[in-house]
Amino acid sequence: MKTLLAEDDFASRKFMDKYLSQYGECDVTVDGEEAVDAYMMALEDGEPYDLVCLDVMMPVLDGYQVLKAIRDIEAERGITKDQRVKIIMTTALNEERNVKKAFELGCEAYSGKPIDVDRFEQVLRKLGLI
Amino acid sequence: MAEEFNVDGMLDMFLYESGQLLEKLEGIILEKQDADCFDDTDINEIFRIMHTIKGSSGIMMYENITRVTHKLEDVFYYLRESHPENVPHLELVEKVLAVSDFVNGEMDKIKDGEKPDGDEKEILEDLDNFLKRIKGEIKEQGIRLPRENKHEEPTQFYIAPVASEDSKFYRIVIHYRNDTQMSNIRAYSATYALKEIAEDLLYTPEDIISNEESANVILSEGFYMLLQTKSEKDEILSLIDSAEANQIDIERITAEQFIKGFGGVTQPEEQKIVIDLGEEPPAEKKEKAVTPGEYVIKAKETGKGKTLAKNQPKQQSIISINVEKMDMLMDLIGEIVIAEAVVLQNPDLNGMDLPNFQKASAQLAKITTELQEVIMSMRMMPLTNVFQKMRRIVFDVSKKLGKEIELEVIGETTEVDKNIIEHISDPLMHLVRNSVDHGIETDAEERVALGKSAKGKITLEARNEGGKVYIIVRDDGKGLDKQKLFEKARDKGLLGSKDKEITDYTDNEIYRFITLPGFSTKEQVTEYSGRGVGMDVVVKNIQSIGGRLEISSELNKGSEMRLVIPLTLAIINGIVIQAGNSSFVIETSSVKEFVRLTENSIVTEPDGEEYIILRGEAYPFLRLSRRFELDNALEKVDDGIVMVLEHENTQVCVLIDKLVREQEIVVKPIPSYVKKVKGISGCTQLGDGSIALILDIGGLIHDEERG
Amino acid sequence: MRNMAEREEMLDEDTQKGQFMTFQVGKEYFGISISYVNEIIMMQPITMVPEVKDYIKGLINLRGKIIPVIDVRVRFKMDPVEYTDRTCIIVINVKTTVIGLIVEKIAEVDTIQDSDIVPPPSLGRKDSEQNKYVYGLARTGDTMKLLIDPEKLIKDEDLEVMEEMQDEEE
Repeated sequence: MKTLLAEDDFASRKFMDKYLSQYGECDVTVDGEEAVDAYMMALEDGEPYDLVCLDVMMPVLDGYQVLKAIRDIEAERGITKDQRVKIIMTTALNEERNVKKAFELGCEAYSGKPIDVDRFEQVLRKLGLI
Repeated sequence: MAEEFNVDGMLDMFLYESGQLLEKLEGIILEKQDADCFDDTDINEIFRIMHTIKGSSGIMMYENITRVTHKLEDVFYYLRESHPENVPHLELVEKVLAVSDFVNGEMDKIKDGEKPDGDEKEILEDLDNFLKRIKGEIKEQGIRLPRENKHEEPTQFYIAPVASEDSKFYRIVIHYRNDTQMSNIRAYSATYALKEIAEDLLYTPEDIISNEESANVILSEGFYMLLQTKSEKDEILSLIDSAEANQIDIERITAEQFIKGFGGVTQPEEQKIVIDLGEEPPAEKKEKAVTPGEYVIKAKETGKGKTLAKNQPKQQSIISINVEKMDMLMDLIGEIVIAEAVVLQNPDLNGMDLPNFQKASAQLAKITTELQEVIMSMRMMPLTNVFQKMRRIVFDVSKKLGKEIELEVIGETTEVDKNIIEHISDPLMHLVRNSVDHGIETDAEERVALGKSAKGKITLEARNEGGKVYIIVRDDGKGLDKQKLFEKARDKGLLGSKDKEITDYTDNEIYRFITLPGFSTKEQVTEYSGRGVGMDVVVKNIQSIGGRLEISSELNKGSEMRLVIPLTLAIINGIVIQAGNSSFVIETSSVKEFVRLTENSIVTEPDGEEYIILRGEAYPFLRLSRRFELDNALEKVDDGIVMVLEHENTQVCVLIDKLVREQEIVVKPIPSYVKKVKGISGCTQLGDGSIALILDIGGLIHDEERG
Repeated sequence: MRNMAEREEMLDEDTQKGQFMTFQVGKEYFGISISYVNEIIMMQPITMVPEVKDYIKGLINLRGKIIPVIDVRVRFKMDPVEYTDRTCIIVINVKTTVIGLIVEKIAEVDTIQDSDIVPPPSLGRKDSEQNKYVYGLARTGDTMKLLIDPEKLIKDEDLEVMEEMQDEEE
């Protein structure tokens, strides 16, 4: 599983990187803009990501903007729903409106922090990633 | 239920909404438990409720809840589509309740931070068999089976955060002594010391090194830090230099609170009262939707919180307040009422004619009354939930015992102080269980023979009156058998001496035997009435909130248990009177009228008791000065005034010297060092600083009865 | 966690040790540790409460707080005397219970070392009522002071009342 991680907080970044690396290659970015660039690059190289993990509060572009950007790019390129990259938001923000918006913009899962590792794994399975 | 949750959190929202739906479900069930079957509206409603909970629990990944509600949704799908006849109604009711109980149980675990690990296998199997039977019935009745109920699998998931075992979040506040020099530098050294263990550290004021002004802010408001670390509290405290610190507060917070920084500081959960300002209609709240771009942050600098590039105003119609602050507010409002009286009744004003002043003081009085009402209303909550629990108990216990009982509920919207609700729930449950278990006759024929309806009736009533709240459990069952009670008490040695006769006690005293510790025997204690928990514990619980239990009963007619509880802050309307050198206050609502009488209107019995004939009726007559042995009191009835007082349908006439005025008074308890005095329920401070005792009419009347 | 306020309090306790508020009741002088004493106030109007013990004179209003006052003479089963302008009320605080003691005359604050305190004679005397609460004697100046334990004073009340209540129930 090839993963893109966008996380601006050092401690969280280390943790997620270590966790996701057990399933495969994991690329790390520290702000929203970098994340979109990384996504594009992988797409153009013909080796797109299977999973993108996005923090919400980031510099330059926030998680929602990245989420929307990726979905827009996919729509423009005619990538179908079952082919598009799976996106999981990871953030400490837990209000219902935050979650609702994320679902609206089209992410597959929303995980509060600190992350429930067991459940996270369950979701990866449900999404067919592992 | 909204009061208990932070309604914005995803998890809390799920629990709250599902909780509401399940309450609705229970409501339908209890309403239709005695019907032959559910009607179309019920079936649709139940289907919808199961469908919704199935969906939301699916998103939240609570699989066992999803499976169970999925199955029940299927059952109701078939009922809705095919309308089979002769559906075994009682069985269906039980199954719905089983599902509801299971889901509620799992939600309770979630609320407590535990894993919802209930095993749903049994319920699923049970429902499966039931569904098979229904399908069979449908086929037999020649109805066509509808298409399979299509279920959509959830495609989006929410993973609730866990309490991290490693990183913990703390909120630390340091208050320095007022004369501390350079508190900003001290604060800086505190942050420096914590860097050793900090994974992340935010503080405010921020510019402590560069800006000397920050020292003033620190002295007046305190120095706030948000810390992310693996360390425990004591390690953190040992690092902070406490030499000049007056006080250091440290509390554990959640990751979400940490990330929100200093803006959204909330108080510990248990201490909150959520006040519904009630003005924004729910639709408006939804408009505060999230827009992409809102959460972009500026590049992070040390010590500063994540600052959003765009400033989000937060508007809510609900706020949380620390209970301690509410208590302080309540005390202050009591003080204001007294202070107002001290000003308005100041002896300096005696004999002066001040029309403008009168007008102004009338306005002041009006405002303080309103202020007091609003503040008291903030802590008030309706009894609805408590009463709802009672409904369920009556249903369960009566079914298990095979008794048919109708529950009438009156005044469930009555509001009482939050503190009271927490303390009466258990006692009330006990009383209700007693009525069902021991009160209502087991044999319906026994009831009919006595001229009563076969179905037993229990009434649960609540009302607010004169600064007190009355909660009453009434049944039309067997009533209390005085003879039996007396013999039982005597045989158990609870009477002190074996020589007592039943005639030595009043009815009330005999009824109160059931509240003596050790009264309930093993035979009496059933699964439902409690294991030796007993009425004595009920009474203790009520007394702990300043209330009392009153018991009335009539053999074969029924019993009535009354909880009488004072509202926490009692500011009552009272009439100040004088007898001898002492001032007393009577609750205005207890006073029926004042009359002037002559000595000849008094009738004296040979045993010394006195009566008055008023408009053809006889009332017991009481001379306050004699009763309380007051000095300097007027002797002749002609010179004084007689008050006609009423308490719960009993009246008494009391002779006093004079009427002083009507005013609002703050009820204060008699200091505990002075033990309870019959006839006095508290005291208060009058405008001139003197103390008046508050008369307890019930206590006065009761004593009159005893003679 | 220890803070400045707590440290100051501890210091005070040390300097308070051995300081007794002394007062006169009848012919005797009594003393009570100053750690229990909140304040001394002049006699003020007392609101009587009906049906209480004879030594509970009633309630007073102390700056908004309503506290009970007891007559020490009556408590020690002596004949009551008229209150004069010398009569004072010592407001004491015993483990959160605040009550006022009506005494005939305030003397001074004496410093008494533990070593100077002798236990009271145990044989029954005419004033044995006092002995329940007197835990020691000390001589200061030219008078003997009987040192009172206020906790006993308060506690005994409860016990007596409890016994009475049990009587009532029978």
